[in-house]
Amino acid sequence: MSDCHEVAVSSPPRSLSVGTQIPMIALAGQPNMGKSTLFNLLTGLNQHVGNWSGKTIERREGSFKLDERELILVDLPGTYSLTANSPEEVIAREFILRERPDLVVAVVSAANLERSLYLVSELICLPAPLVIALNMMDVARQEGIQVEPEVLEAALGVPVVAMTATRATGVGDLLKVAREVLDGRRVSQPRIPAIRADHRAALDEILMEIEGYVPAPYPSEWSALKLLEGDAEMTRIMRAALPETRWRAVNAILTQHDDAFLAVASGRYEWIARMIRAAVVQPKIGQISLTERLDRVAAHPIWGLGILAGILGLVFWLTFTVGSPVQGWLSTHVVSALATLGRAWLATSPLWLRGLVVDGVIGGAGSVITFLPIMVIFFTTFALLEDIGYMARAAYVMDNLMHLMGLHGKSFLPLFLGFGCNVPSVLGTRTIDSWQARLLTILIAPLVPCTARMAVVAFLAPAFFGANALYVSWGLVMLSLLMLVMSGSLLNQVIFKGQRSAFIMEMPLYHLPDARTIGLLVWQRSTSFVKKAGTTILAMALVVWALSFFPGGELQTSYLARFGQFIEPVGRWMGFDWRLTVALITSFPAKENAIATLGVLFGSSPTGSLGQVLTTAFSPASALSFLVVTMLFIPCMATVAAVRQETGSWKWTLFNVGMLLVISMGAGSAVFHLARALGY
Amino acid sequence: MLEQLMQEIRAGGTLETNSLALRLGVSPQMVQAMLEHLERSGKITSYTACDDGCQGCSLQSACSADRRGAKTHLWQA
Repeated sequence: MSDCHEVAVSSPPRSLSVGTQIPMIALAGQPNMGKSTLFNLLTGLNQHVGNWSGKTIERREGSFKLDERELILVDLPGTYSLTANSPEEVIAREFILRERPDLVVAVVSAANLERSLYLVSELICLPAPLVIALNMMDVARQEGIQVEPEVLEAALGVPVVAMTATRATGVGDLLKVAREVLDGRRVSQPRIPAIRADHRAALDEILMEIEGYVPAPYPSEWSALKLLEGDAEMTRIMRAALPETRWRAVNAILTQHDDAFLAVASGRYEWIARMIRAAVVQPKIGQISLTERLDRVAAHPIWGLGILAGILGLVFWLTFTVGSPVQGWLSTHVVSALATLGRAWLATSPLWLRGLVVDGVIGGAGSVITFLPIMVIFFTTFALLEDIGYMARAAYVMDNLMHLMGLHGKSFLPLFLGFGCNVPSVLGTRTIDSWQARLLTILIAPLVPCTARMAVVAFLAPAFFGANALYVSWGLVMLSLLMLVMSGSLLNQVIFKGQRSAFIMEMPLYHLPDARTIGLLVWQRSTSFVKKAGTTILAMALVVWALSFFPGGELQTSYLARFGQFIEPVGRWMGFDWRLTVALITSFPAKENAIATLGVLFGSSPTGSLGQVLTTAFSPASALSFLVVTMLFIPCMATVAAVRQETGSWKWTLFNVGMLLVISMGAGSAVFHLARALGY
Repeated sequence: MLEQLMQEIRAGGTLETNSLALRLGVSPQMVQAMLEHLERSGKITSYTACDDGCQGCSLQSACSADRRGAKTHLWQA
């Protein structure tokens, strides 16, 4: 049973029978199928470019000779279908219906028949002879897709010519077939798509109502189908053409079958699938099966999570085994040496200048620069995971976990961005339509551990915990994610009450890593980090230094000490002294400032590197608590500004800041007191 | 076929094109073609990682996506 009218494709073409008229061929195809290449190849310089009447869309027309006979070639706009979704689609179908070309050549890609045959499924229903130019055979071969043109021709019932327009191969065959069709020597019997039986009845009812009222040049059955599909242009035309009573009857049928759009398109895709099953042999076998095999584990809801946790652990292990010793060396031999050198050079300078250079610039920003090796290892491992295609799997298994916890699926994409930086994460919530869902995502987005926070942990964990740094860092990331899931679930229960929405991912195939791509990425990220250290962090380090120096030149009596001592009672809940409290507060403009501040407060000590000094200054309980609070604390200033901008409300921004303060300080206090109770 | 895909999407949750293709008994390219169709019809929205830009973030270059064509493509219904 067909969903379109019977096509009179075997009748002698109009223009040839007239004799005096030049035969016209229309080139149709989806964008990027090589239609323009074929057009240029055939017409050469005999072409002119104008606009389709009343539109700003380019119209290209040309002529060429075939066996001493002149032919006109019209390049139709690239369209995915012939449903009035865009002006291009209306132009293409109006041209075929009104101008009645003697032949339509549909250019399709052999490398992607699934997509390109959709247009053919519509063209095949129109009253014009059709020939399929099966282009990009070379690309298909490269991708391991084997298409059999003869089988496709038998399945479609229209001529199919294999070609590669970019190499001008197969063009002669195409012209030969075109000649045969134009001369009426080749008769087609197209096999057209079917519509589901329950919608067929509706189609017949519409057809009955509109029969006799359909304006020329539209075929009745085609018009009925377009109405059922919800085609806006055809609906407008038929509404004007039909008497009111008939329109009401048609409208009633359409309202009853408002999902017919899917049924019609579904019928076409089933038709495409049949064509592909017949004509395509084993698409992309090697790479796909490898990807599938790997994904059976990597994208598994449970094993995938285990692998993700394992990989994160491995990244930290690598960071600490390779990065930390280099960082320690830089800290002792470069920063401390520079500080000693600075002190010697500036021995006769005023105290404030020596303090500014040695403690502020070298101690503050210098300390941050020393963790460049750690960052490079971090960036390299993540770039490698991204490049081989693993990150998409990590995102997928994380999202599965969030669903298990009842978190809203739409929140996933923005949260995923948060692993790089929380700002795009908050801005990314614009993609969520529901305000409540958006708000929830904004509120929990700062709990995604961003690279800046992970870097602070990667620097401080080895300093505080030595050999156990790996377990501590890994645990901190897990704690952040746990907090995110817990707060998300809690808010979700209150706000969403279990509503679910869909999210579809197309995972890239696994690739062998490309050194150049990874190198470039690591370079970009590292330079961006160094720039940040030289600007934002340096400025903050200088402010912290100034506050720690003035008014008297003594740290213990400085403004910073006074401020720190003022708020120290709060810090004490979490086991902090005033210096850790101040370091935490100065991390607000940028997370790395926590290290710069500790660098200013401890870094110029002659007794050793910052790491060594920190180990002696704080108990493991205080240190662990500091790391926990850093991971869960109020995000950086830029993120808070983004939260204000996206929520448009100070109330929600303050709520978010308050929520994170409660979470971080609560977790910090709990960890501190638990660790103390355990004797650390 | 497109109806089956829509049913899967309407059921909600996280879906992945390769496993969808297995469930529908078609090639992953077919699922991709149908998703693109649904996107053109306005039923679902398409994203590639970090399309939204990273205004105000000093680590924005860390978020650059789509190199070598191996990008993650995402749709939301």
